Amino acid sequence: MLEIKNLKVRIGDTEILRGLSLSVKAGEVHAIMGPNGSGKSTLAQVVAGHEDYVVTAGDVTYMGNNLLELDPEIRAREGIFLGFQYPVEIAGVNNAYLLKAAVNAKRLHQGLGEIDAFEFLKVAREKMATLGMDPKFLNRGVNEGFSGGEKKRNEVLQMAMLEPRLAILDETDSGLDIDALKAVAQGVNALRSPERAIVLVTHYQRLLDYIEPDHVHVLSEGRIVRSGDKSLAHELEEKGYDWLREVANA
Amino acid sequence: MKQQNLAINELREAVLRMPADRLSATRTAAIASLKQNGLPTLRHEDWKYTDLRPAIEISNQWLAAGANNTASDTVADAIATITSSLDANWLLITNGVIDTSHFDRGASIEIARFSDTSAPPLADKPLADLNAALLNDGLKIHVHAATEKPLGLLIIDAADTGASVSQVNIEIKIAAGCDAELIEYQASLGTQDSYCNSIISMQVEESAHVSYVRIQDRRIGHTQTARQSISMGAASDLNMASYDLGGGLIRNDLDIDLNAPHANVVFNGLYLAGDGQHIDNHSRVDHRVGPASSSQEYRGILNGRCRCVWNGKAIVHKGADGTDANQSNHNLLLSDHAEIDAKPELEIYADEVKCSHGTTVGQLDETSLFYLRTRGLDRRQAKQILTHAFAADLVGRTPIDMTRDTITALVGARLAVLIQEELL
Repeated sequence: MLEIKNLKVRIGDTEILRGLSLSVKAGEVHAIMGPNGSGKSTLAQVVAGHEDYVVTAGDVTYMGNNLLELDPEIRAREGIFLGFQYPVEIAGVNNAYLLKAAVNAKRLHQGLGEIDAFEFLKVAREKMATLGMDPKFLNRGVNEGFSGGEKKRNEVLQMAMLEPRLAILDETDSGLDIDALKAVAQGVNALRSPERAIVLVTHYQRLLDYIEPDHVHVLSEGRIVRSGDKSLAHELEEKGYDWLREVANA
Repeated sequence: MKQQNLAINELREAVLRMPADRLSATRTAAIASLKQNGLPTLRHEDWKYTDLRPAIEISNQWLAAGANNTASDTVADAIATITSSLDANWLLITNGVIDTSHFDRGASIEIARFSDTSAPPLADKPLADLNAALLNDGLKIHVHAATEKPLGLLIIDAADTGASVSQVNIEIKIAAGCDAELIEYQASLGTQDSYCNSIISMQVEESAHVSYVRIQDRRIGHTQTARQSISMGAASDLNMASYDLGGGLIRNDLDIDLNAPHANVVFNGLYLAGDGQHIDNHSRVDHRVGPASSSQEYRGILNGRCRCVWNGKAIVHKGADGTDANQSNHNLLLSDHAEIDAKPELEIYADEVKCSHGTTVGQLDETSLFYLRTRGLDRRQAKQILTHAFAADLVGRTPIDMTRDTITALVGARLAVLIQEELL
């Protein structure tokens, strides 16, 4: 589904990704771990299409097409979803309005009509219930005055409504208490399916106790330095990240 | 740059052609004042960002052409559209001529023309002399009791068959203890030049509560100078919201006098400006007695080549202890050619006061734009959503509920055009 080959990315004068390769197939859950500054969030932003990041080398193909040529909104409509590490607060924009606009943008792209208003509310309320969200959040400003946990649940709600083919969740576990973490994990697990791929970007192993990955990759200084199964996450938890620098520099 | 002066001789001739009535003496005094003082220029501190020469030029051309306003039939359609969208008790002033045919006389409101009673003395304010000299007639309105419908003032100018210059003068008294709702709607149409100079003075008596909505939706390119002078009695409240959506050169002056304790005024404003527009909102609040509070928030969305001015002055006079004055102004600049001159001014001569002010000028947040795009919305949709959000808060603060839908629709329509402008 997603093929990244020898990707090099810079922002300003700083090279952040230095030849990263990654292959994600439908049905898989990948975890990308690594210390702060290793390039995890950059990878997530580049796949979503952030224009501040300049790709200087390498290829990214998604469903067989060159992803780098597409605007962020087209990527979204083609099924890529980025769950933000810091979801943006947009005062004055109703949460339901944004959700519906997002769902409709995708539906129109697929040649479907706009979603029925009644149907939309019904589905949104169901998904909110499974995430433990109060339906009142539909009528509040997008992330406006939400707690850290509420923002992350809202990201997962958007994902659940948009039913992406490829979901990238950037530090979705950061700042969550255990209940929120479980609710978020449950929301993500509910989306696991043979047609869908999920990439979890995380600093800690904790999230992986609740969402079991098929593959774990360790990112260091802009490259994947090790890949393995879920046991690699436990190894990292025990050893920390310091030993990686030696591997990366070797 | 050559200073343009008002053509006093032509003005005097135009005044001589007006019927002799109870306004005549003030007209004569006004001509003398105009001859002596002229109109404000950029050298006046309060007018340094707003050049009145377009207004003078239009006035001179109009005077030279015989000082006639001719409203065409299309104005009736415009009036019908506005009065049917807002269910108010409407008083019309069409090209400076009072029209009470839409007004429902009831026990709660008394109205009288200056020509049937008396003209107010010439005010010592800029443009008051121009107003008095050419004023066709003015209105005195006395609101005695709460009314079923808001009182509507529709000030409309048609400039389709020829240029139009009009003067409006309305005096309003809100009786003690009365709840009053007031909608002022200024609009214009036609492709010829148009200039309207209005004065609305309002006396809010003790314990009266006033909700006041101002909508300015003049044709892009048309000129307006408008002064509101409001005097607040003890324990009276004013909740006001202004929406400037159209016009070319627009200057609003809002003067509020807090003369007695426990008066509260809230006035908020939204201005949307695009190519060729100049929208200037000046306000001055005089806190003469405390405790009393005043609070204002103005927001602007600017695109294309335009300029807006926000100048909020609060003067806390000696002895006005217990004053609470807040002012803020926030601007969204969508183009490199848009300019905002924002100037908060606080003058405090009392000891125990709470005063604050804040001004921000910014662009649309790129992170928010990206966030919306990752949700499948294109750049234009994302911009539209974010600009709407910036305006929505102020739309929501209209003090008269029944105006909300109309304001939402007008703001939405104007923003849709403004955002397109940038794409050209």
